Amino acid sequence: MGQKTPRIYSVELNGAKDMKQTDKGDGKDKYRGLQDNCLELRKNQRQEHLTKEIDLDDHKLSNKELETKYHTNIVTGLSSTQAAELLARDGPNALSPPKETPEIIKFLKQMVGGFSILLWAGAILCWIAYGIQYSSDKSSSLDNVYLGTVLALVVILTGIFAYYQEAKSTNIMASFSKMIPQQALVIRDSEKKIIPAEQLVVGDIVEIKGGDQIPADIRLLFAQGCKVDNSSLTGESEPQSRSCEFTHDDPLETKNIGFYSTTCLEGTATGMVINTGDRTIIGQIASLASGVGNEKTPIAIEIKHFVHIVAGVAISIGVLFFIIAVSMKYRVLDSIIFLIGIIVANVPEGLLATVTVTLSLTAKRMAKKNCLVKNLEAVETLGSTSIICSDKTGTLTQNRMTVAHLWFDNQIFMADTSEDQLKQTFDQSSGTWASLSKIIALCNRAEFRPGQERVPIMKRVVVGDASETALLKFSEVVLGDVMEIRKRNHKVAEIPFNSTNKFQLSIHKTDDPIDKRFLMVMKGAPEKVLEKCSTIMVNGQEQPLNNSTAEAFYTAYMELGGLGERVLGFCHLYLPADEFPETYSFDVDAMNFPMSDLCFVGLLSMIDPPRSTVPDAITKCRSAGIKVIMVTGDHPITAKAIAKSVGIISANSETVEDIAKRLNVAVEQVNKQDAKAAVVTGMELKDMSEDQLDEVLTSYPEIVFARTSPQQKLIIVEGCQRQDAVVAVTGDGVNDSPALKKADIGIAMGIAGSDAAKNAADMVLLDDNFASIVTGVEEGRLIFDNLKKTIAYTLTKNIAELCPFLIYIIVGVPLPLGTITILFIDLGTDIVPSIALAYEKAESDIMNRKPRHKKNDRLVNKPLAVYSYLHIGIMQSLGAFLVYFTVYAQEGFRPSTLINLRVEWEKDSVNNLEDSYGQEWTRYQRKYLEWTGYTAFFIGIMVQQIADLIIRKTRRNSIFQQGLFRNKVIWVGIASQIIIALILSYGLGSITALNFTMLRPQYWFVAVPHAILIWVYDEVRKLFIRLYPGSWWDKNMYY
Amino acid sequence: MRRQLRSRRAPVFPHSYRYRLDDQDEVNQNYLADEEEEAEEEARVMVVPNLEEEEEEEEVKEEEEKDEEEGQGQPIGNTWWRKLQIMNEYLWDPEKRMSLARTGLILVIYFFFYASLAAVITLCMYTLFLTIGPYMPTFTERVKPPGVMIRPFAHSLNFNFNVSEPDTWQHYVISLNGFLQGYNDSLQEEMNVDCPPGQYFIQDGNEDEDKKACQFKRSFLKNCSGLEDPTFGYSTGQPCILLKMNRIVGFRPELGDPVKVSCKVQRGDENDIRSINYYPESASFDLRYYPYYGKMTHVNYTSPLVAMHFTDVVKNQAVPVQCRLKGKGIINDVINDRFVGRVIFTLNIET
Repeated sequence: MGQKTPRIYSVELNGAKDMKQTDKGDGKDKYRGLQDNCLELRKNQRQEHLTKEIDLDDHKLSNKELETKYHTNIVTGLSSTQAAELLARDGPNALSPPKETPEIIKFLKQMVGGFSILLWAGAILCWIAYGIQYSSDKSSSLDNVYLGTVLALVVILTGIFAYYQEAKSTNIMASFSKMIPQQALVIRDSEKKIIPAEQLVVGDIVEIKGGDQIPADIRLLFAQGCKVDNSSLTGESEPQSRSCEFTHDDPLETKNIGFYSTTCLEGTATGMVINTGDRTIIGQIASLASGVGNEKTPIAIEIKHFVHIVAGVAISIGVLFFIIAVSMKYRVLDSIIFLIGIIVANVPEGLLATVTVTLSLTAKRMAKKNCLVKNLEAVETLGSTSIICSDKTGTLTQNRMTVAHLWFDNQIFMADTSEDQLKQTFDQSSGTWASLSKIIALCNRAEFRPGQERVPIMKRVVVGDASETALLKFSEVVLGDVMEIRKRNHKVAEIPFNSTNKFQLSIHKTDDPIDKRFLMVMKGAPEKVLEKCSTIMVNGQEQPLNNSTAEAFYTAYMELGGLGERVLGFCHLYLPADEFPETYSFDVDAMNFPMSDLCFVGLLSMIDPPRSTVPDAITKCRSAGIKVIMVTGDHPITAKAIAKSVGIISANSETVEDIAKRLNVAVEQVNKQDAKAAVVTGMELKDMSEDQLDEVLTSYPEIVFARTSPQQKLIIVEGCQRQDAVVAVTGDGVNDSPALKKADIGIAMGIAGSDAAKNAADMVLLDDNFASIVTGVEEGRLIFDNLKKTIAYTLTKNIAELCPFLIYIIVGVPLPLGTITILFIDLGTDIVPSIALAYEKAESDIMNRKPRHKKNDRLVNKPLAVYSYLHIGIMQSLGAFLVYFTVYAQEGFRPSTLINLRVEWEKDSVNNLEDSYGQEWTRYQRKYLEWTGYTAFFIGIMVQQIADLIIRKTRRNSIFQQGLFRNKVIWVGIASQIIIALILSYGLGSITALNFTMLRPQYWFVAVPHAILIWVYDEVRKLFIRLYPGSWWDKNMYY
Repeated sequence: MRRQLRSRRAPVFPHSYRYRLDDQDEVNQNYLADEEEEAEEEARVMVVPNLEEEEEEEEVKEEEEKDEEEGQGQPIGNTWWRKLQIMNEYLWDPEKRMSLARTGLILVIYFFFYASLAAVITLCMYTLFLTIGPYMPTFTERVKPPGVMIRPFAHSLNFNFNVSEPDTWQHYVISLNGFLQGYNDSLQEEMNVDCPPGQYFIQDGNEDEDKKACQFKRSFLKNCSGLEDPTFGYSTGQPCILLKMNRIVGFRPELGDPVKVSCKVQRGDENDIRSINYYPESASFDLRYYPYYGKMTHVNYTSPLVAMHFTDVVKNQAVPVQCRLKGKGIINDVINDRFVGRVIFTLNIET
């Protein structure tokens, strides 16, 4: 379905070709507004921001003046030499692409970002240590070189991985280059030539026709029925007519200028290029967008914070123990090696890669739900979003006109406006309805494209403008085959809609064979239609139109208009057969038929209705503590009506104006505190200071910004960000791109969105549907929670990896865990489980809590660090030490013997070291035992990490509430841990460089009681948290 | 969070304290402060004393003028008073009902937590020791096959000495003499029993019973005993080197096939060593010294020795010598371990 909508959209626009007289620009205003007197004024304001930056007066100049200004000739064009000179001076007619960081810089950034610096330091220290060893003893072992190389490899590999992931996600989207039209028809040297649009220069005379993209900013010199779609520039979705007359001081408003990258919908035109490349209006906006700094994503901030914590811990412990080691009379060289060990133990090497994978998994999941994430980190941003500034058209609404209300027989009827209206349920028995439906069906030029019989009516492609399409589909649903009805009521004459008449009229033979009268049907602006009527149909009977019926008409008109709907009036007249015999020839120019004393039948109003999923989505946002602000270029009344119907303004809240109206007092007298909602127009916004805007944003929970220019969107976004909110912005036009970029997360529309918007955005909604944002929020929050779990899981074992070193230094036992082995835990057994946590389901309804506070709810907070490091981490170390001591004791070295054994143990020359039983060990036998110790410690950590993995499934609920088997991936993770450990111990145990040995099977179970203890302890923790919410325990133990 | 805190505190500590928090706001720019900020409120106060005292001293001077505006009438430069007040606050913060007692409570909780962890690990270790006999190791596979060491040994396996310069070899003699003290005939006769050769000296009985040890007398080493030649041949350029097999509990050589020692030139001309005398002459470790019952019960166990008397070695050049053990259960070709079942050393005797 997502695929089809754009086709309908574009065809409707193109289909308007036949309707030259339909000037929708003006028609729209009339239809919509009864109180629209200051519309012109507002329009001026809308463009105000753009106007400021545009210094363009070419639209005011005459053709002659233009020729002189640009040294060109309208007939013959520029000469090739002139063009070449200008091209050399101004550069190609293309937008300079956004400044890209060179790939190599990006790559290097990955190499030095995060923990990489620490690991590089470790690697370099290793090499230095070897250098020192080598200089004193040429035969010193290469262990340190290996370790350094391994560390460097780890950094490079994880760097390459992260770079690859990033590159993959940034390449998803197309770039600006797509916007540039490929070819342009230009007159040069008196000849028409087709040249690449990039080579256009100012002064070139170009010809455009319907369907072309306008190749540069052009001043029209000649136009025939030319209409352009400026939506990507101004947000106006109505086609704008273009002519060569200067109609407005404002270059954006005047009709004789066509803008780069907008589309010519129909007609032909010749124009002179007045701006190229970055100097075009679009170019200026695009550069504005690239000038707006990209906000750092919240998750990036969190990860940086986390890296800082871990690095801080690593460095401080490292330095502390370096000092301790030196003061304990260790050699400096040894102390350096200890330092490396401590750094390696403290740094979760695999974590950043895991986070990347986790984020991309979520990104994939979101893509399935129509949220395409461009920047991986943006996955989480939606989760912390606290304000959504949403567009109206297309995002909240269906982006198609639909019949919403009918008025006949002095009654307002409601029509079904859902996406797939199957039948209309209002009362259709009245005779008035029979007449009205006939008018609706007949007085309409829109047609279905042939060959769509099987397609549901609402999805069929229609040739015709938006209102007519709505009417056609409506009557097709209600009456059945409209085409057939039109065939039976042969059309003999027709006056299409135009902006001066503001009505449309057609004359038909009737399908009643006995009745030889012609039927004249008319629709148009209600007041215009009513003027021409003298009677009104009530319950199928014509009645004279008196004051009271006129009153009823106006009441209904006002009411429907007040709903922000576009209202049309319908009337008809059966032409008397004696005056207009069957052979009568109607002349639409001479108007040889009556144009007064018609019979008014009814009103019908249309609106772009909200998507049916939106109200629910808004409710969800609200319960999730997210404020939804509507920002639209549309009329305040329409905006408010839609806002009310989707729940952005909830049913029982009022604006200041509403209260004033209800209490019948002046607006100034109303206590602003009473109003929950506010509708702010662009004009009001323009006059506001920053503080006033802040006040509006903080004091009203429900806000609608109407008639805003895209540039004001930027102001609104900045205002929200001043409230410390994480702001999501939706948009589709080029003009939205600065706001999209400024927002914490810019969301572009996949279907209606321009490339520039998609380029500036972090996320693209493939179905343009607001409800998809809610899914995104849910996923984002889930991923934040799950990342917490992943990090807690990963940090825990760091203590178990660190303690061996500390004990080794202080107590002097043989090293319990080697550096290489640590890397095997961090990058081996722990990887899959920590990714598996990303699949964990939410513990409670995450959509029922407030968005996290950017500064207070950190990813890694103190309870998380303390609980992971000082509780579970310590328990885990004890368990692992137990395995270590068991292995040593059973092999002959009791713990008491081990103390302070380090020096003798590590002496290569001692080949008869005595153990607790008097046995004597060679150096290599001890080394092998040491590796067995590593393996044992490794297995000890692994076994307890299984328990750790299980307890990390939840943070508050019991595991049994969460379900032990609901997340199957966790079990894949556990299996992977065990399998990797088995392979390392039994498969690769014979490779000495890896420092693994075959471990007796019973040692695998030594740490199991500790694993169970960890589980039980955590269950107790969670139990207390649940039992005593808000208590000291809750505050300190809930991460 | 900080902002709230400040406004809440302000009335209680109108002077001094406020500025401290102000300054922290600036510090918040860097992450360390953030880290601290996110910290639990109680805990932060816990942290404050040690982290910020120095900071305070500097700030205080800058803030003095401002402080005057507060009109507390404190004499200028009375930093001690302020410090006292801050200290007082650490002890008892009336606003948050937070005191050292509370901090103490946290410490107590942690103390009990770690105490119980310690209890658990102690219990585990206790259980571990229950499963491990004090007399015999549970497994011996890592220490098998036996390694080999030589005496004299002084951190180096290179025997460099000049026959005519006693200083160069005197330390070998001292080392050997010292090593053989425990092998003195009188001592051996006093402590150990003379058990029949050629068979294991098996002592059945309870594990915890003391075991008797067989005599290995210094005199068994004949010319290398240092009894006749107190210089162990070093003075004549015919050095004695003693070879000892590492003790392993329960290790038994093949019955009737005692472990033998044989030495030869490792690399180079085999004739560099023209003759070696072994003492005892069998060049083997007699079976009666096995098995070893562990040092708890087999207290006086004396490791058997084989002495190699290099009576005719090429002089004035380094001769690499490899001595190997031979016998069942002996491995002498482990690549990584050059001391299992063999030992390599060089003799460089100068005249």
